Amino acid sequence: MIREVNSLDLLYLVAAGRWTLALTAMAFVGGGILGLAIMMLRIAPLKPVNWLAVGWIQAIQGTPLLAQIFVFFFGFAIFGYKVSPWVAAGVAFSIYASAFLAEIWRGCVEAVPRQQWEASAALGLSFPQQLRYVVLPQALRVAIPPTVGFLVQLIKNTSLASTIGFIELTREGQITTGATFRPLTVYGIVAVLYFLICFPLSQWSQHLERRLNVAR
Amino acid sequence: MSLVRLEDVTKRFGQLTVLDQVSLKVEPGEIIAVIGRSGSGKSTLLRCINGLEPIQGGRILVEDDVVNDPKTDLRKLRQKVGIVFQSYNLFPHLSVERNITLAPTVVKKMPPAEARKLAEEALARVGLSDKIDAYPDQLSGGQQQRVAIARSLAMQPKVMLFDEITSALDPELIGEVLKVLEALARQGMTMLLVTHEMGFARNVGTRVVFMHHGKVWEQGPPAQVLGNPQTPEMKSFLGSVLH
Repeated sequence: MIREVNSLDLLYLVAAGRWTLALTAMAFVGGGILGLAIMMLRIAPLKPVNWLAVGWIQAIQGTPLLAQIFVFFFGFAIFGYKVSPWVAAGVAFSIYASAFLAEIWRGCVEAVPRQQWEASAALGLSFPQQLRYVVLPQALRVAIPPTVGFLVQLIKNTSLASTIGFIELTREGQITTGATFRPLTVYGIVAVLYFLICFPLSQWSQHLERRLNVAR
Repeated sequence: MSLVRLEDVTKRFGQLTVLDQVSLKVEPGEIIAVIGRSGSGKSTLLRCINGLEPIQGGRILVEDDVVNDPKTDLRKLRQKVGIVFQSYNLFPHLSVERNITLAPTVVKKMPPAEARKLAEEALARVGLSDKIDAYPDQLSGGQQQRVAIARSLAMQPKVMLFDEITSALDPELIGEVLKVLEALARQGMTMLLVTHEMGFARNVGTRVVFMHHGKVWEQGPPAQVLGNPQTPEMKSFLGSVLH
């Protein structure tokens, strides 16, 4: 039952791209919230809390994303918790993103001059107040280009969710290849679709970076 | 009772002793000019008073609060002690108004309308009423420094610390900032200034403190200390700044 690649296959691939985007969005929002919290723990003026954040970041940056996905999908099943690919992928990718975003954003916070911390401390602001009113607004400007850059990485990495049966762009490509036995054509299309999503973002990120350098 | 009291304060950066058993009393209404060569510890002295730098020995009191006691709420203390820095350190992303109202609204929970009035008053004191809606990068260095003074004044501190606040300014802008300081002095504000403006120290100061090698080397009324230095170090310092 091997058939040609047809326009319907293309439609299915494009449709599967939605789930790539949905998983990316989930990971980005979840990872963003978690990452912000980890970043704050990382820079808070309290050593044990810093170590906790460093441990989190190192553990996640030092292990393969694929292994993290398997831990959540197969690992929980061992203990009798049946986890759907959606939940496993959503959680694994959020945790993965949190570690990287925390480090990216820490760099941005540290780019804010030390004198801004001093001036706000001298006015009696607490650490959370300093962050909220003085430091984060200034860090945000610097943070946008590298954050968008990471988003592009995240989109491409969601292809690893295909390994646990999460039907996104890459998994749909595998299915289509199975039916047509035309891997070069199908994965070529898959690659082009990834490119169409990522290229505009990369361009935007570079544009933001240029504008930031001009504004300096 | 003294407003600020330093008792045998010692401050080290690693092996380097920056303040060596410094004792100093500041009475309400005093205007103390701290002078000395760079590296003599004068800026560090100021920064220790509001707890920006921890000390390794001795005691610093502001009224009844011991600055170096870990139990002291530094945020409460800093509402009594204002500081203005050499590099202004305004918040670049906030308007002049918000720069001034931020701490009153956030720290003292003042209602916005009241804080706005406070900002207007503080700006009037530094002669910048028309700049309330400007952003820091639209102002000259002298104007930025005056806003920084207004920002500190808005917290209604009991003592103000000025850390070489004219040193980063172009010569033609120094006068406008010194005028603001003179006005503050006339209004009875207690001030400690680290400064290189000997004319200002002589005319406005009530006391001059000369620091050398982390110690208070010589102090007294400006006319006496500047006019009739007792130590060779003070003479040599004056020689190098007054030639």
